[in-house]
Amino acid sequence: MFQEPTVTILGLGNILMSDEGVGVHTVNEFQKRYQVPGHVEIVDGGAAGLDLIPFIEGREKVLMVDAVNFDREPGYIGILENDEIPVRLTQKASMHHLGLMDVLCIVRMSGNMPKDMCLVGIQPKSLELGLDMTREIWDKQEALIERVVEKLREWNIPCALQSPQK
Amino acid sequence: MRSVENALQLEIPLNAQYIRNLIMAAHGVHDHIVHFYHLAALDWVDIVSALKADPKKASQIAESLSNWDQNSAKHMKEVQDRLKTFVASGQLGIYANGYWGHPAMKLPPEINLIAAAHYLQALHYQRRINMVVSILGSKTPNIQNLAVGGVANPINPDNQSALNMERLYYIKTLIDEVGSFVKNAMMVDVAAVAAKYADWTKYGAGVTNYLSAPDMPMDTKGTTFALPGGYIENADLATFKPIKSFNDDFFKNGVKESIKHSWYKGEWNRHPWEESTDPNYTDLQYEGKYSWVKAPTFNGKPAQVGPLANVLCMFAAGHAPTKKYVTSTLETISAVAGAKVGPAALHSTIGRIGARAIRCAVLHDECTNQWNALIANIGKGDVKTFNPPTFPSGEIKGVGFHEAPRGILSHWSVIDGGKIKNYQCVVPSTWNAAPRNGSDQPGPYEASLVGTPLANPEKPLEVLRTIHSFDPCLACAIHMVDAKGGEIIRVKAL
Repeated sequence: MFQEPTVTILGLGNILMSDEGVGVHTVNEFQKRYQVPGHVEIVDGGAAGLDLIPFIEGREKVLMVDAVNFDREPGYIGILENDEIPVRLTQKASMHHLGLMDVLCIVRMSGNMPKDMCLVGIQPKSLELGLDMTREIWDKQEALIERVVEKLREWNIPCALQSPQK
Repeated sequence: MRSVENALQLEIPLNAQYIRNLIMAAHGVHDHIVHFYHLAALDWVDIVSALKADPKKASQIAESLSNWDQNSAKHMKEVQDRLKTFVASGQLGIYANGYWGHPAMKLPPEINLIAAAHYLQALHYQRRINMVVSILGSKTPNIQNLAVGGVANPINPDNQSALNMERLYYIKTLIDEVGSFVKNAMMVDVAAVAAKYADWTKYGAGVTNYLSAPDMPMDTKGTTFALPGGYIENADLATFKPIKSFNDDFFKNGVKESIKHSWYKGEWNRHPWEESTDPNYTDLQYEGKYSWVKAPTFNGKPAQVGPLANVLCMFAAGHAPTKKYVTSTLETISAVAGAKVGPAALHSTIGRIGARAIRCAVLHDECTNQWNALIANIGKGDVKTFNPPTFPSGEIKGVGFHEAPRGILSHWSVIDGGKIKNYQCVVPSTWNAAPRNGSDQPGPYEASLVGTPLANPEKPLEVLRTIHSFDPCLACAIHMVDAKGGEIIRVKAL
């Protein structure tokens, strides 16, 4: 049965730029391993810009995974919640630079912000062109998935490991 | 794909042409709406100033300019209230942007409020028209339905799993829903901004040789096009020479690229079929190599591409809808500015933005025309969408072109025994962002910035206005959140 989604798990980033794609890789791996209820939508948001809006506005809860600059050592994991997530319109050279901060700002201006938002962020090591993430960031993928699972539990959203036969 | 089809001299079924045309037109409308409202407008519109506007007065101004039905005083007030909450929340650090409250911002608060209201409405309409692209192309922006020889959309009016009448009429609903926004909100907003920034008709002309592709082929061979294209030299519309078909030698023989100032091995100036792309990074050498972009030329000269080039070429070719929208836009600008503004004003930064709105309206009409053509053709009982290609042994060459949202795009292929031997893309932003060419002539971006006044060199808003007016395509963007919300891009003056 199709259920109208009220929760989004959003992996963000450009997988062509090594560690920049960490959010997408993590959410894809999470989706392979875990089963979530029908009202939870798992989305590879890539670098989609404005096309992300329908997956954010009006949702009750949005959990995002993305590379974040915390000014810390590579692999540092930080959690930003609700008002801690920076929301603003940044200066852009091109439409292709429209990122999460801008999208959230636009959703805020439209007056449809989710009630709960959480950004699981990780300090990247490299943003060079390349399909593979660096060793340091791959090594943190388990920890990132754990943070996602913990957050979902805190939100009372059941998620269970899929049976391996599948 | 057109490049391979051209090499094979393959004919494309009419339905496939119309479906492709519909995707191109809808994508263009989407892209132009987003570019104006969500990228360029913020260079001219000061959202903070909108807080000071009188919503009633804003509504009166907006309603005097068009019959758009979402300009009521009540709606303006709601938008203003939302903006107030947004600014008051504090954590937004709205001034970190640095450009709101800039001395070069000149719009009255009411116009800023109207633009802010339409900025938010535009989010809905860009999404609706983009749905046409995703329905026909399976996803957007990287559509999946194109194949050498046609499209992978099976047409069956009565089958639920094919492109059927229900889907086609849904597409028509989407097209109809967006038309009024483009013509009564976007075109009017662009005209109002242009009128209030009349100085900007004097800046940013840059290179005034204009090149654009004819597009929307209306026959299987690609010899008649709904939208004309060609070349104009030195801003003189009388010099217009059309590009007539996918096989026209005027275009095929006219394009070359130089790498004298680009980070590639060698120092040649070659036709795309003869090119190579071997990186050779040297650091920034202002007199030597200083860019990853190659320098394309048309018959030895740099050319500007994009909606302005396209609109000027269609205007010069006598394309009636283009003439209609150019005239109505110039009339609105003249009315708001209180002075007569003629077509010469188009050769400028603000002219590029105006031309994009005009092209958006032309493309919207074209969505309807292409939909009608598709329905009429299916009505004749033709459901063919694909001609299978066969590759000969030996070498063949082809060129395919398309008038993309940012201008003429051409792909050049050399195929040997069915395998790609050389493939070169000469893309719109390469024409506009080109470094100096083989004879050291600057490209459009470089030329357009000469003589731009700067109110505050630390915050070069005026430079962004001109660069944004070209709608740059910079690939491989990084969208990293800065935990402190800092400014990530920096503009370095060279």
